[in-house]
Formats: sequence, C-alpha cells, structure tokens
Amino acid sequence: MTSVIRRRAPLRAALNPAWFALLPMALAAVVVYLGSFLWSLRISLTGSRSLPLHDYVGLAQYQRLFANDRWLHSLQNLAIYSPLYLAGCLALGFLLALLVDRQLRGGGALRAIFLYPYALSFIATGLIWQWLLNPELGIQQAVRAWGFPAFRFDWLVDQDHAIYAIVLATIWQGAGLVMAILLAGLRGIDPDILRAARVDGVPGWRVQTSIVIPMLGYAFATAALLLLTAAVKLYDAVVAMTQGGPGTASEVPAKFIMDHLFGRANLALASAGATVMAITVVALLAPLLYARGRAARVRA
Amino acid sequence: MPAASNRIIALSALLCAGGLADAAPATAPAAPRAEVLHWWTSGGESAAVRTLADAYRAAGGIWLDTAIAGSEQARAVALSRIAGGDPPTAALFNASRQFRDLIDQGLLNDVDAVAEREHWSQFLPAVLLDTLRVNGHYYAAPVSIHMPTWIWYSKAAFRKAGIAAEPRSFADLFAALDKLKAAGLIPLAHGGQAWQDNIVFRAVLANEGGADLYLRILRDRDPRAIASPEFRRVLLTFRRLHAYVDAGSPGRNWNDATALLITGRAGVQIMGDWVKAEFASAQQNAGRDYGCIAGFGPRSPYIVQGDAFIFPKSADPQAPRAQQLLAATVTSGAAQLAFSSRKGSIPVRADIDASTLDYCARLGVEIMKDKSRQLGNDEAYLTPDQNGAMADVLTDYWNRERDVAQVQKSIAAALRD
Amino acid sequence: MSVTSLKSMDEIRLGQLFAWPSRLTLEAWRAAWRSACTGVACEGIRGGFWNSIAIVLPSTLIAIALGALNGYALAFWRARGASLLFGLLMLGAFIPVQVLMFPLVRLLGPLHLVGSLAGIVLVHVIFSMPIMTLIFRNHFAALPRELFLAARLDGGGFLRIFLQLMLPLAVPMLVVAAIMQATGVWNDYILGLVFAGREHLPMTVQLNNLVNTTTGAKLYNVDMAATLLTSLVPLAIYLLSGRWFVRGIAAGAMKG
Repeated sequence: MTSVIRRRAPLRAALNPAWFALLPMALAAVVVYLGSFLWSLRISLTGSRSLPLHDYVGLAQYQRLFANDRWLHSLQNLAIYSPLYLAGCLALGFLLALLVDRQLRGGGALRAIFLYPYALSFIATGLIWQWLLNPELGIQQAVRAWGFPAFRFDWLVDQDHAIYAIVLATIWQGAGLVMAILLAGLRGIDPDILRAARVDGVPGWRVQTSIVIPMLGYAFATAALLLLTAAVKLYDAVVAMTQGGPGTASEVPAKFIMDHLFGRANLALASAGATVMAITVVALLAPLLYARGRAARVRA
Repeated sequence: MPAASNRIIALSALLCAGGLADAAPATAPAAPRAEVLHWWTSGGESAAVRTLADAYRAAGGIWLDTAIAGSEQARAVALSRIAGGDPPTAALFNASRQFRDLIDQGLLNDVDAVAEREHWSQFLPAVLLDTLRVNGHYYAAPVSIHMPTWIWYSKAAFRKAGIAAEPRSFADLFAALDKLKAAGLIPLAHGGQAWQDNIVFRAVLANEGGADLYLRILRDRDPRAIASPEFRRVLLTFRRLHAYVDAGSPGRNWNDATALLITGRAGVQIMGDWVKAEFASAQQNAGRDYGCIAGFGPRSPYIVQGDAFIFPKSADPQAPRAQQLLAATVTSGAAQLAFSSRKGSIPVRADIDASTLDYCARLGVEIMKDKSRQLGNDEAYLTPDQNGAMADVLTDYWNRERDVAQVQKSIAAALRD
Repeated sequence: MSVTSLKSMDEIRLGQLFAWPSRLTLEAWRAAWRSACTGVACEGIRGGFWNSIAIVLPSTLIAIALGALNGYALAFWRARGASLLFGLLMLGAFIPVQVLMFPLVRLLGPLHLVGSLAGIVLVHVIFSMPIMTLIFRNHFAALPRELFLAARLDGGGFLRIFLQLMLPLAVPMLVVAAIMQATGVWNDYILGLVFAGREHLPMTVQLNNLVNTTTGAKLYNVDMAATLLTSLVPLAIYLLSGRWFVRGIAAGAMKG
C-alpha cells in the first residue's frame, strides 16, 4: 500500500502459487472486512437501535450525525491529534532507535525499557496520567511546592488543552513500538549487501543514502500507517484520562461510535459514524497511493 | 423468619417450574443452571452478589458467575452474545428502557408465572414496575434500588467551616458552600465526568424544579416545559454550583471526590448511595462522620435507579426453569435484605422490615413509603440515545459559559426523538 | 505506579502522589494475585493466567506465519488483484474492533465458533491480519528485488524461497511482530469476553473487573499491582526477544 509498485516482466507461471498463499487473506479481506463494511453501510441506512433492524430510513442518520456538535468536534480533535501523534511518535521513536542502535551493550535492556509502556494497558496508566496532570495533585502541585508558585500545567482540566495531554500520554506509549520497528528496519539490512557494497568500492555515504535510508523509508511507512490506524481508533486513552472531557472538549470519533454502539443503543448512528471514518480514510489515502503508483510507473 | 420463607418461595418456584428436586432424586431433572452476567465486581458489590448466588444455590440451583466490570461493557457483551445466539441465562440491566428493544424483538422470556404468584405488582414501586412490565408481561426481575442524587457532607469539614445545621434548601446549601470556601476548603467535591455532571443536574432538577417539572422534562419531553422560566432557573442553579468546585475536578473519579470528604478536605458531594462503600472502607459511619441528605423539604422526591435481571430466550430448553428460579430467589425478602445491606442500595420490596439497614438506607426506605415522592431515573423515561444526547449538552454547559436560552434549545433538540 | 501499588489505601486517599509510602506493604500484590474480588469469586487475577497463555501462543504464531507469508507473496509475487485485496484489508485496520464485533458474531455464531478456544484464536488472527501483513510486506518490499530474482533463477520455488531465504532475512521483523501481537492479544479482554466463552476467559477479564468498576469501592493499590503483574509477561517477552536482535546488532555494527 505504501511501497513503490515496480513494473517488471510478470513472472510467467501457469498458476501463480501466491494465490494459494493469499487465500486466507482474501477470505479475511472479502468476507470479514468488506462484508462487515457493507453490513455497517446497510445498517447505517436503517433505524436500528440495540440490535440490527431492516427499517430503512435513507440518509437520516448521516444528517443527524453532521448536525451533531459532538461529532463535529470529535472530527476536529482527530485532525489536531493525528498529525501531532504521528510526528511525535516517529520523532521520538527514531531518536530512541538511534540511541539503542549505538548502544551495543545493554541495548536489549534499553529496548525493553522503552517498549514497556506499550505493554501497560491504559485502563490503569490512564489513572496515573490523570493524577500526574491533575493541577491539585500532580506535577503542577509538586513544582509549586518546590518554590515556583506561578507554575501552570493544567492541560488535562483545560477545555482547550485536554487533547494535547492525550497526545503526550499516547506518544509515551507508542514511541517504543516505533523504535522497535525502526530498529528492525535498521537491522534487517543484510550484512552481505553492505559488505558487497563495500567491496565494490561504494563510498559510505552512498551506502547510507541508497541502501539504509530507503530501507528505513519502508520502516517509517509501516510505522506511520500503523500509527494512523491507532489514531483513527483512539479510544482507550481518552476514556481512561478524560472520558472525553472537560465537557466534550476531548471527544474523538471512535468514542462517539463506541458510545452509540452499545451504551446509547443506536447501532445505526454508530454505523454511520464508522462508515464516514472508513470513507474518509479511503478518500485521504487512495489519491496518495495512486500518485505514488503513477510516479513509480513513470520512473520505470 | 425471612430465611425460611425464602427457602419456601424458592422451592415452590422450583416445583412450579416443573422440578421435583427433593421428592425423587433418582428421577429428578438436573439442577437448574443459570449463567448470570452482571457488573458487580468490586469488594462490596462482590459480597452483595455472593448473597444472591448463595440464595440461588440454597434453592437448588447452580450459579455460574460471569462478572464484567462497567455496566456499559457488561451490557455490550450481553447484547453481542444474544445476537450471536449464545446468550447468558440472565443478564443485569438497569431497570430502564435499555432492554425495550430486546422485548420488542421477542428476544426475552417473561417471568409472569413468578411475578403473578409472588404478587410483584403489590410491593414493587410503580416507577420500577413500569420499566419491567411491558404489555402486561414481566420481562425482568428487580434486584436493587439505588438513589443517584444524595447530598453527602463531611461532618469534620462542616465543623471546621462553622456550619451548625444540615442544609434544608438550596439557599442553605449555597450558604454552607460559601462558608466552606471561606474556611479554605473545597466546597463541592465533584468528579467532572459527564455522568457525574448529570447526577448534579438531576439533583437540582428534582429538588429545585420539583417532581412535576422533572416529569414534564424527562418523561413528557414537553418543549414548553423545556423553554419555561422554571427550567431556566434550574439550569442557572446547576451552573451556579460550578463556582464551588476545585481546579482538579475535571475527569476526577467519583471515589476520589469521596476521598476528599473522607479526609475532611472538602465539604459536600452529590452522588449516588454507592459512596457509602467508600466511607465504609475508610471506617467512617453515617451520622457520626458524614451526613446524607436525600433531598430538601418534606416533599422532596426519591429518584429510583433500579437494577434488574433480564432473561434472554435461548436454545436450551432448561433455561426458563433456571430463569424463573432466579427471578423468585433474587426478589425474595431475605435475599433482598442481605443484598441491600452489602450493596448500599435499598430493597425493591416495600413489605419487609428494613430496620437492620444503615441510617441513610433507612431514610430512603422511609421516603419511599410515600408513593408520590417516587420518581424514575432519567433512563426510565428516556431512550439511552436521548439520554446520552442530553448528557452531552449538560456536560458541555457545566464546563463552559453558555447562554442559557441556547442550552434550553439544545436540550429540546436532544430530546426530540 | 509501582509506588502506589506498595501503599495502603488510607495513604492513597491523602492524595500525596509523590510521597514515598510510610510503610511498604506487599498486601496489594498478594490481593491482586489471589484474593481480590472480581465477582462472586475472590481469587484475584491468577485464574485466567493459563487461559491467556493458551490464547496468546496460537494467536501469535498463526498470525505471524500468515502475515509473513502474505507479505512475502504481496512483495514478490505479482498476483492479479492482490494489491486491491491488500488495500481492502488495510481499510479494515481503520475500523474500530467493536464495530466489527456484531457482524463477526453473526458470521461465526452459526459455525459454532463463538465461545471456544478456536473461535477466539481465529478472531485474533483476523483482526491482526492487516497490520501483520503490512509490516512484512513493507519489510520484504525494502529488500532488493535482485535477491529474489537470483533465487528464482537458481530454481527456487515459492515456499523454498520463503523459508530458506526470506524468513531468515526477516528475523528482526519477526521479533517486532511477535512483540506486537503477543502484547495486543495479551491485553485484549473485550474480544475474549465475547468470543472465548466461559471456559477460556483470559486473565485481563479479571484485571478489568478489578480496575474498571464504576460504582464499587476502588482499591487503587490493588489495581496497580494487578496491572503490573499482568504486564510481566509482555515485559519478559521484550527482554527475551533482545537475544534475537543480537544478530541484527552485528549487522548494525557493519555499517558504522
């Protein structure tokens, strides 16, 4: 999806063996994912409440969705959150990867330490963040007690900044994984290739730019796409840290969808929300991929 | 002899449901097995649900426990499993409109046999009954009544602020909050999460607006009531309370707010009667260390937030028998008393002696004797969707300065189907 | 977090977050493991430990095997329409799992796969497939294509090239995939609740019951201890997997 599509002579095999290998994937993609998407699409056109019904109401749910302040605010929050989260995780993850990569001894332990936040579910760490960022209990209080009475750090309880507090906490959790992916990218480079390049007298900077960086490019693409899926599905951290508050200040689309799916027993509206998100993702990513595909073809 | 009567009730349920457990063990059908899905998982809740499981066992049943914390989560799993054809024998819901869709789609078994034999209609409060009985059939067995809008106060904080008497009106309450503020305490310990904001709102609506306005807004969704100056006053009073919370309030869990009362750093909290469990685990007693106010004045309403088991239809032919035994067991007087004393709620039955319950619960039982003071919780009247949409408006208003007329309009829009 | 788990509830109520506990107590850890109430039962979180292991092992192995195979097939073997399928699969990664739960329950219900170990493993494999496929596809796509063509010229078949050439080149990525998948499956409880059935409920269901209660009294020290206990298994995986990076370190040193 993110790679360069190379056009070379197709492998002439009577029956491409890849097809057999891809059968489970095809089943999952078509039956489960496409099927579920079409199912959601259909439900979004009905008046389903707790359970699916088939009383079609046209686009009424979509009208309701886009008349809903909370949904619109959720989309806005996601637009703020996603780029910051992506940039933050990639930058921090890259720094950590470089740090660990240089550290020949103890690298493994360092890696485990940086990865550890990823293992802790937000159900409990959310509470710690809540306390740390609470102006009466956490960092603000502590710094004031150390003699800086004017110090302010109250993002979590501030309508305009709560979403940034969530950015902070999720970067802390996600950066370790990005580091691991980039490290794997760095270390997946076959030593033979590098040795061969050296034997051929390719200068070191060329090795970096034409072998190492492109290779990391793929790792970056993997990480970015992974983070993007996490951003779109952002839910746990919000529930654990702010429950969407103060007020509705840190609401996000996935939380809107989840709240309506079960708690508010409005399956149809939730499905409409999910459909809008899926279509938005396609609308944003498809042109990008098409352009990359074209560029690759032109080059070839 | 509540224990004995419990046994007899349970046994008769068993017999009526077609079993002959004690009479002929050799030919008796297997003991009824009930997988019970609920959200009671913490210490006190756990002890409470254990009394139900024990009673069910004593009545000859087998209780398979599926506990899932978080009521929304538990209901989500129940719904998914019903949709997937693998339903639990019984699932806990709030006694509300939450399971109306399931009834409409014919997915629930009724427990009419038990309800009629035990004369549920005679001892259950009408507001509770209305949520369980649909088209003349009983679709759920009630277990407990919570009251979400109690006003709790720390006696230590009140002493420190020089407040002598318990507030008897909103005017008194605001005076007390001012004194607490002057004494350097947190006047109102509030957890700024949407559902808690809404509890404060309901407390104001019920006490400042009165039962009549409460019903016209939540039950009738009357646009004129929503636009009325009386409702405007309710909204203004609600927002006025916001001036008394501390900066750390947003996002705080309710129990952290209660901890502020327990340690005497805050004066008042408006929250359901489950806070008694927090006070109890800190060895504090009602009347001695903290006070509880159900409402202001002799006519103040008591909001009924009920929990009830529903009974999904399933392929298992033995399920109805297990379901009916469960319905009979959990509503029996002895089970009700044992459960309530651990859960902090009050019994669903009006016909049992509640003198063994704690001070606040006894207050509640007393108020409930006056039928005109019983009010349903918001979810008893509104669909979950309407309720949620209104909650969004209210939490937004609580957290940000907004024109009240606009808020009235938004609420009208949220409640318009 | 660790500090909180060592405090008593009375101290936590005081709200002094950075204060060191006046009296260290392991009580909370003991309670979390074996005596905290999570429903009718009060057996802590230990009950689901082996269930969790039984779910994580197959879910991780199968998901990685399929992901690697998919990635390899997509990167090197130009099967018609495969890119489109992959795009479809990736779209699935953007839909919240809960939205997919209803249709999946209806799909698997009639196949008697709801409420069994096979069912929960299948569900985990399905939900992880987009990401697993993505990471391997991009990893293989980054390798020089000449490597693959040379192997083809040497007469290597589909599976031989995969097993003998490509998998060894993907060891660091295999480790990353294992870390991701094992962590994800280990921490899941909502899918476990719906698809695993009573007999196979993972440990996190009890953890959630401890930590996520809404209207019950809360014991933060026990919550923290239970969370830390539950996270020990992923942590062990991270530490052990370090070994597999040693090979990579040699490679990393080469380029210096």
